[in-house]
Amino acid sequence: MTEMRDLYPFLYSGDPGSGAGGGLGDVLDDVRRSTVDKANEIVALRRLVLERDGARMASCAERMAEVFRAGGRLFTFGNGGSSTDAQDVAALFLNPGRDARPLPALALTTDVAVVTALSNDVGFEVAFARQLAAFGRPGDIAFGLSTSGNSVNLIRAFEEAMRRGMLTVGMAGYTGGQMAGLEGLDHLFVVPSPSVHRIQEAQTTVFHVLWELIQEAL
Amino acid sequence: MPSAPGQMARLFEKREAPGRGLANAAGEIAATCHSMAIRFHRGGRLFTFGNGGAATDAQHMAVEFVHPVIMGKQALPALSLTGDIATLTGVGAASGFGDVFAHQLRYLAQAGDIALGVSPDGRCDNVLRGFEAARHRGLLTVALLGGDGGAIAPSPAVDHALVVRSDDQRVVKEVHVTMYHVLWELVHVFFERPSVLVPGAGL
Repeated sequence: MTEMRDLYPFLYSGDPGSGAGGGLGDVLDDVRRSTVDKANEIVALRRLVLERDGARMASCAERMAEVFRAGGRLFTFGNGGSSTDAQDVAALFLNPGRDARPLPALALTTDVAVVTALSNDVGFEVAFARQLAAFGRPGDIAFGLSTSGNSVNLIRAFEEAMRRGMLTVGMAGYTGGQMAGLEGLDHLFVVPSPSVHRIQEAQTTVFHVLWELIQEAL
Repeated sequence: MPSAPGQMARLFEKREAPGRGLANAAGEIAATCHSMAIRFHRGGRLFTFGNGGAATDAQHMAVEFVHPVIMGKQALPALSLTGDIATLTGVGAASGFGDVFAHQLRYLAQAGDIALGVSPDGRCDNVLRGFEAARHRGLLTVALLGGDGGAIAPSPAVDHALVVRSDDQRVVKEVHVTMYHVLWELVHVFFERPSVLVPGAGL
């Protein structure tokens, strides 16, 4: 790899030789090393996910493909960064582009009127559960993403989905949190990392691979 | 389903090289973070944008900066230009979808702000036009791209182009997610050392 000093020699002009740490050149070096470390971490984490969950991902994709074959629909949800992942999942299924087959999918996080109404009138913990109560039918899919596994509104949504006979798919991190103890959850993928960021990155791979398997199956 | 284990290994294998490739961009990422931290230090704000799946990345980045997942990190001002459906559809209907990001940057952004656009193939016209509007306003411009970088990578409107060399848009996206997590984290490394953010620090 090219040395930082070769790439950005001008950065070192005010920080000659073995000057005290903390100058711009030193910070840039630290930051560069940190990026390399993180690249290695996520590559290793993906390998671990494949080892631990590869077979279970295949069976989950098979079940989801059966749902779509039977006319079922996908509902996705999550909070914060995971809400954007939920939207990414829905967008990927509904509008995959190129030659891929569009499938019915809706993110429950995009309707700000509904989310704020439920949160204001009842509480944020019912935001996704009430939406599933309105939309969900037996044979649909409830797909929730969390990093902690402890989001109360996700737990409530999965409970509602199970009552309604939906296929339930969850993603979590760390050791799975409360989602790991949720009786009756059909598929749970736990990314075993202490970093929220690495968890989200590996989860992105998991839902992309699920989609790729489903497209190949249909 | 076809042979599950082999198929699964193949799907993960294609992600390995682009994932490792991120390390090769470490120098450019460091320089990008430094430029961004200087803008934040001076009161600049971050505007993010992209289409389709990349629109969700834009929103993810904004929440990352405004509401950090690591306790104690300062909230920094960031706004995704993909979140306001009234404006997106209003501008789209009135002057075409190509203008949706450029319009918002022309009227919301100021010199000293940062424009960060995501285009997995480097060919999104409205993202390029967003960068051009941002350049005109005097913003720092950062592009997360894929494939060969398309028309956006070589554009004079782009200060920092981070390109994931893969034609698989899902693989590109996965590396982008790591990239912007790293950008967020390392911007704070500089931001917390004000001595490297003032004139005379080297840039």
